[in-house]
Amino acid sequence: MSSLLSVRDLVKHFPITRGVFGRPVGAVRAVDGISFDVKQGETLGLVGESGCGKTTAGRAILRLIEPTSGQVTFDGVDVLSRDPARLRALRRRMQIVFQDPFSSLNPRMTVGAIVREGLIIHELAEGAAAHARVKQLLEEVGLRPEYATRYPHEFSGGQRQRIGIARALAVEPSFIVCDEPVSALDVSVQAQVINLLQDLQRDRGLTYLFIAHDLSVVEHVATRVAVMYLGHIVELAGAEDLYAEPFMPYTQALLSAVPIPDPQKRKQRIVLTGDVPSPANPPPGCPFHPRCHHPAKDAACARITPPLETKADGHLAACIKQPPTRITWEEQLAAGATHRPERYVPLALAARS
Amino acid sequence: MTAPDSRPPALLTVRDLRTYFRTDAGVARAVDGVSFDVMPRETIGIVGESGCGKSVTSLSIMRLIRPPGTIEAGSRVEFEGRDLLALPEPEMRKIRGNRIAMIFQEPMTSLNPVFTVGEQIAEVARVHANASRKDAWDRAVEMLQLTGIPAPAQRATEYPHQLSGGMRQRVMIAMALVMDPALLIADEPTTALDVTIQAQILELLQQLQERFAMSIILITHDLGVIAEMAQRVLVMYAGEIVEQASVGELFARPHHPYTEGLLAAMPTLGEARSRLAVIPGTVPPPTRWPAGCRFHDRCRYAWERPERDHPPLFEVGPAHWSRCFLAEEPQRRTQAKDASAIAGGSA
Amino acid sequence: MMLVRWALAIALSAAVAAAVGRLWARMGAGGGPWGTALARLRRDRGGMVALHFLLFVATVALFARWLAPFDPNVQLDIINLASRPPSVAHPFGTDIYSRDVLSRVVHGTRISLSVACLAILLSITVGTAYGTSAGYLGGRADAVMMRVIDALLSIPRILMLLAIFALWGRVSLGALVLILGLTGWFATSRLVRAQVLSLKTEEMVVAARALGARHRRIVWRHILPGVTSTVVVAATLGIGNVIILEAGLSFLGVGVQPPTASWGNIISDGASNVAGLWWMSLFPGLAIVLTVMAFNIIGDALRDALDPREIQPA
Repeated sequence: MSSLLSVRDLVKHFPITRGVFGRPVGAVRAVDGISFDVKQGETLGLVGESGCGKTTAGRAILRLIEPTSGQVTFDGVDVLSRDPARLRALRRRMQIVFQDPFSSLNPRMTVGAIVREGLIIHELAEGAAAHARVKQLLEEVGLRPEYATRYPHEFSGGQRQRIGIARALAVEPSFIVCDEPVSALDVSVQAQVINLLQDLQRDRGLTYLFIAHDLSVVEHVATRVAVMYLGHIVELAGAEDLYAEPFMPYTQALLSAVPIPDPQKRKQRIVLTGDVPSPANPPPGCPFHPRCHHPAKDAACARITPPLETKADGHLAACIKQPPTRITWEEQLAAGATHRPERYVPLALAARS
Repeated sequence: MTAPDSRPPALLTVRDLRTYFRTDAGVARAVDGVSFDVMPRETIGIVGESGCGKSVTSLSIMRLIRPPGTIEAGSRVEFEGRDLLALPEPEMRKIRGNRIAMIFQEPMTSLNPVFTVGEQIAEVARVHANASRKDAWDRAVEMLQLTGIPAPAQRATEYPHQLSGGMRQRVMIAMALVMDPALLIADEPTTALDVTIQAQILELLQQLQERFAMSIILITHDLGVIAEMAQRVLVMYAGEIVEQASVGELFARPHHPYTEGLLAAMPTLGEARSRLAVIPGTVPPPTRWPAGCRFHDRCRYAWERPERDHPPLFEVGPAHWSRCFLAEEPQRRTQAKDASAIAGGSA
Repeated sequence: MMLVRWALAIALSAAVAAAVGRLWARMGAGGGPWGTALARLRRDRGGMVALHFLLFVATVALFARWLAPFDPNVQLDIINLASRPPSVAHPFGTDIYSRDVLSRVVHGTRISLSVACLAILLSITVGTAYGTSAGYLGGRADAVMMRVIDALLSIPRILMLLAIFALWGRVSLGALVLILGLTGWFATSRLVRAQVLSLKTEEMVVAARALGARHRRIVWRHILPGVTSTVVVAATLGIGNVIILEAGLSFLGVGVQPPTASWGNIISDGASNVAGLWWMSLFPGLAIVLTVMAFNIIGDALRDALDPREIQPA
């Protein structure tokens, strides 16, 4: 399968300003150089905790936030091009579904007007044709067509999320960024929306970038998964590989922290100490090293920013202590290393898989 | 109504609790006949989706219901042998934050932004134990230490906005436990937190429960959290308890179709990827609970009887109750499954 | 004859109120956030009383020519009828030139109300345009535009007005509207800008951008409808201020120029007389107080009814 979307060294720094005329005094390094591909027809899961930059990454790819630097190519077209007509054409093919089903729908527009907006902007249909198309879209997302005349506040969270999906589908995109589409919903409704997204993917051949903090949901929907921490992708692998044998100590801790709804499977857990550092003042070297429990952690981890490199077939991770690594032992020694790189799978996870 | 028999030494006994809200849209029966016990040192989990009445239940126990909400006559809440619903307000204030403490989902809104966290924790000790300023402050620092906050003496002098979400929840826990309560009500204590921080807080709650020998009512929508924390579980739907069992029993043999649906609807880490089961429809508004079984319009097994009659709690196993007529007509479950298997096969 | 006309005026304003009420009921039934807000406003007792009163005042202004018993500018009988207290023939009395005060107040209503309404219309238009531009553009442009507003707001408005009148002296009604309108939009623009800043980051606006909507569409469909309620409330509360301001300027002799009657200069005519013609301050004074109060009550009621937190029930 070919890549539909390719992201290279994407960076987004938000300036921290002070004073009446906004003098920059620093930057929040929300996304700090990430690279990945999304293949045609797959779902790439993007997971991480709040503040890791996953939402910023999703929006920078769609240029809803102007990236600081980097390259984004969609189906051979440069997304960061300066040509507004080209960007508008791309908007038809790349869409987004939001987390908050309340603030993402204009309360002063009817459901029909919300879904119709894309049709009108791109001149895809007018008048009766647009009307018919809206009804068809509403049915496709599991809503009654007569809902078109109602207002968003008359609907439950799950129904509103369906309206948001219909709005995105109206322009017939091939790629959708799903930004935490189910995290505001109750469990039973969450399942409905996940199934809907999967059905649509199958029927329309959609490609998803699925952003979420819930690792169970991502395991369920994703073909491949990228794990973000403090603006970096620290691990990227096929979903099965990643969940079966995560290489990064951070991913290991993240997975072991998820509560399992099965009292028989009480597992040992890696409990991380401390909080995620501020992205305005990230630690030097490996962003995770202050909280890392890898037995080979040493001074080199605080000096060398680990590259995201292939550790096994199709399994990338950013850790100089998890071999193989292209940061040689000599380079690590020069940076103050005392421990040789060694493979490490903690007991908690070894027992689970 | 066959309420479960109370074993004698219950710490908290709730019987037929009804909390109604009289609004323009009609009477919202948010909590509608809830009965359960909490044993000493036990963690009881209350699980359900938004609007099921789990939070209103806890607020009713604390008597923190505001108009237009009222706790209806006939409801009974007994705690350490005292009828909480009959106590005069000043007596009740002595129980709140002292014998029964509460922590919430969003610690930022429960903390006062203009006082340091140390002052706020010390305030509790001063109010309830008449502690001197110095003693109260020392107690605050000690509590912060117990909740695993590094450099507690330093942190005590900081303001809530200077702390991270996880730290604030630790402060809330410290404040709740100052008076060594017998019962801690934790209402979605980790919902606003990231999963690694959630793990820290859950572990902390378990340690502190041992140390303070307290009971916990843990309210959450997350069955995973319930499985890891609770000994007994109450499943709530539409203002009622629909199933009650020990945690092992509930997850191994869920009886009520709603519980079954919730478990099937949840994607679970490490399980085979298959299509998620869904519960069709949404929770009805509390002003219009359906007649008969309140779940019947979303239930895959529903037949005429639950549409007509309101099911009581049936004992379906040892200390396992379920509000479903399947207890009396179990063959309908297998029939429905066979039918859906045939339908699925032909499709 | 005159009584019949006034009765007709009252009946007309009541009929308009009833028609408006029916229209509302229909909008409310249609659902929609505006319908719900209007339905809520209808339940506000004070607001409805104030609205009825204002409709009556508006009717008086509209039909001043028929409702005034005399020509407001004609000296009826300078020998026998000057400075007379209220009587049956002249319910509000007469002024020193023997003009009928009731007629002057009725015609003054027309002037005062239209000056205030036009001035507010001008100032909210300018204020909304400026505030929306600053908020939507953001960044450096916003910073500069808001510093300009800060500077303008630091000059007391009455000082600014007196300076302008010191330069130009007597002005026409049109110029008065321009001057009042163009000195009154600074606070509105700030309010609008703050609202736009928060609306701009809402996901519904991000969604519109993701769909490829042009700026014009985003502003008209997603931003401006969101600030309408703020602007409507600000305008209603602002009208009262402008009425008072205009009255004050006319009182000082730099606003509406005699012989054209306005509420302010009628009071001024009375006050300049040593004899103290109390009816000449009382009746136009009452007109000012009641009208301003009614606008403020409606403004408050609108603010309650349009509260955006209420527009989005969970």
